[in-house]
Amino acid sequence: MIGEVEIYGVFIPGLLVLGILAFIVTLVLRLILRRLHFYRFVWHAGLFDTAFYVVVLWIAALATLPR
Amino acid sequence: MRLNAKTIAFTVANTAAVLGALFIAFANDLERPYWAMFTVFVVAKPIAGAVRSKAAFRFLGTIAGASIALLVVPPLVQTPTFLCLVISSWIGFCIYLSLLDRRPRSYAFMLAGYTAAIVGFAVVNTPESIFDTSVARVEEIAVGLVCAAVAHSVFFPRNILDELTQRIDRTLRRGGTWIAHTLVARRSVGLKAQEQLADLVSDLHILYEHVAFETSNVPRNALVMQALQDRLSLILPRVSSIQAALVAVSASGPLNQSTLDVIEAASRWARAFPDASVAASGDVDTQLDAALEQLTVAGKGSSEWISLVQRAIACQLRALVMELSDAARLAQALKNPIGGTAGVATLLGAPSRRVLSRDRGLALLSALAATAATLMACTLWIEGSWPDGAVAAQFAAIGCALFATLDRPSKGLFWGDCGILLALPLAALYSFAIFPRIDGFASLALVLAPVVLLFSWMQTIQRLEGVALVLAIGFSGGLALQSSYRPDFASFINSNAAEVAGLLIAVVANLLFRTIDPVCNAFRISKSGWHSVARLAQMPTLDTRSWTRQMFDRLGLVTQRLVSAKRHDLIGDRIDGLRDLRVGMNLATLQRIADALPPTARMSITSVRSAVSDAYRGLIRGEPLRRPDPCSSIDHGIAELATQGRTETSEEGMAALVGLRLDLTSPAGRYVPPPVNL
Repeated sequence: MIGEVEIYGVFIPGLLVLGILAFIVTLVLRLILRRLHFYRFVWHAGLFDTAFYVVVLWIAALATLPR
Repeated sequence: MRLNAKTIAFTVANTAAVLGALFIAFANDLERPYWAMFTVFVVAKPIAGAVRSKAAFRFLGTIAGASIALLVVPPLVQTPTFLCLVISSWIGFCIYLSLLDRRPRSYAFMLAGYTAAIVGFAVVNTPESIFDTSVARVEEIAVGLVCAAVAHSVFFPRNILDELTQRIDRTLRRGGTWIAHTLVARRSVGLKAQEQLADLVSDLHILYEHVAFETSNVPRNALVMQALQDRLSLILPRVSSIQAALVAVSASGPLNQSTLDVIEAASRWARAFPDASVAASGDVDTQLDAALEQLTVAGKGSSEWISLVQRAIACQLRALVMELSDAARLAQALKNPIGGTAGVATLLGAPSRRVLSRDRGLALLSALAATAATLMACTLWIEGSWPDGAVAAQFAAIGCALFATLDRPSKGLFWGDCGILLALPLAALYSFAIFPRIDGFASLALVLAPVVLLFSWMQTIQRLEGVALVLAIGFSGGLALQSSYRPDFASFINSNAAEVAGLLIAVVANLLFRTIDPVCNAFRISKSGWHSVARLAQMPTLDTRSWTRQMFDRLGLVTQRLVSAKRHDLIGDRIDGLRDLRVGMNLATLQRIADALPPTARMSITSVRSAVSDAYRGLIRGEPLRRPDPCSSIDHGIAELATQGRTETSEEGMAALVGLRLDLTSPAGRYVPPPVNL
């Protein structure tokens, strides 16, 4: 994930792209979790959501790591 | 001093967000870290959902504004006059759009307007840096927004639903008490209560928009909320029509026993509300039902005016009791996270698009004021070769946008200007006495912490919220923190003087274009309400629920202005939002039952509708509302309905006609049944 992504001549840091993607993924996952009434078991939803985002971002970063 | 867990959590979260935003901005060598700093202050709210929605809309608006600047500056930079014209018209256009929509999303339009000014005017001398400046602005704002959103959702946030349900519960409880008062004392519902209820319903509408941005544990039930709003906005007109009918009955002699029984039972029911109605129907319910039945039966068979009015009272009370119990059940369902809608599915209506009342004329004036202010500042800047004129133009635009919703923006702007002047010495103290002695981010955070804590704490107090925001913006702008310390007293004075001057220009422009007397505005709002009653009377297909919401919103806006101007005396024959709502409610009832009636009765109802519409058009022209001509067609309608069998529908229609007659004709007049041809 190191390096930059080029979109029409504009260089965007790879981490930013991953961050945006991870945010969209989290939004969808949170929607599903809410449908399943998962949040009954969560003590602090704000903290959970934030941590959840970090985990998704970390997984995305690992997955795109150049080997 | 108010220091409880909530304010401490907010203060700590906000301080953490400010310092975090500064740290990230410094670490990444952003151009103007202080933009990230005051963004945090701008979006800070005690409720997590509100912060997150404001952040999202601010981000969208900033991107749109920066893109516009990117689009218009390069081709127009050689013709400054034209550039200023384009940017200031864009600001006016955005402000116009944002004022038409009073929901949270309007913030995005406002931002799109003044971001274009901030970015566009900043780069006029160095047009080649437009791209970098736009990106920097978006980055700095984004850093501030993300920090604020994360901090305010992690540090023990409050959620919007808890706030709203607390207010709903309080209002329902209080509602029961003042219904009991109104029935027993037969006095009209106080202005204070009207204002409170109307305020609550409008807030439910506006604030519930934030729920989509709440943390995930908060249930989203937009349909339940809409149904609840519908019930709540009917309570006031119902109660006041019952009160008007009671007054009419008691004017013609002492109340009879069955009416007194009904009042007694209903006020007992209202006092026990809402606890009794959420539980299964109790003693109180059966007593009230019996008394209402008694009253209806007592008046049956007679088309005497008084007994008609009594039957109308019974009918309206029945409806009120049902609406209130529905409201209590809906409020209960709203709190219930899982399967909340299961129990109340029958109470929910179809989803409908609702708009709050809006004022195109005033929005246009605000837009003109903003355009004029920006142009004035630009003229001074270009013609006077004022090096810091760009800052003045930016602040003229920002000031006009921020205060555009007020009745007297010039007053708010003036105090804002004073706040910035107050914050400047503090900023100067930091810039020239403290900063030279510190080194590194840790010591910067330490010296800033007391001020940031103080401002954050002030934001938790409703009265000081605006002051705190102005002080925080003035302070962060004055500091103009950048990655390396460059003391420059001359530029400090110049740019801050330009800020103050820009706001003063905004004051002048708003004085010229946008000074409207609150009482005068209340009159304008009532007048648009009359137009809307006339429209409802003519167009049977109008969505009555959204009509009621809009009228109720107007009622709140009018009462709020009259109460704050202490002009209670103005509510009377002309301005009376409750009467307009009652008329609308009765028209809606007539529309609902019309299909179930035979053609002759339907014809008479159509003529009643056109009579009501004529009466309201007369009111708009300045004639009194109570005139003899609606009287005859209403009487005709009553006579027509009296010949129908006594079904539930005809009873409701009768109650509606009686209500219309009480409102639109002189109070002393009575309906005289036509002579029976033998």
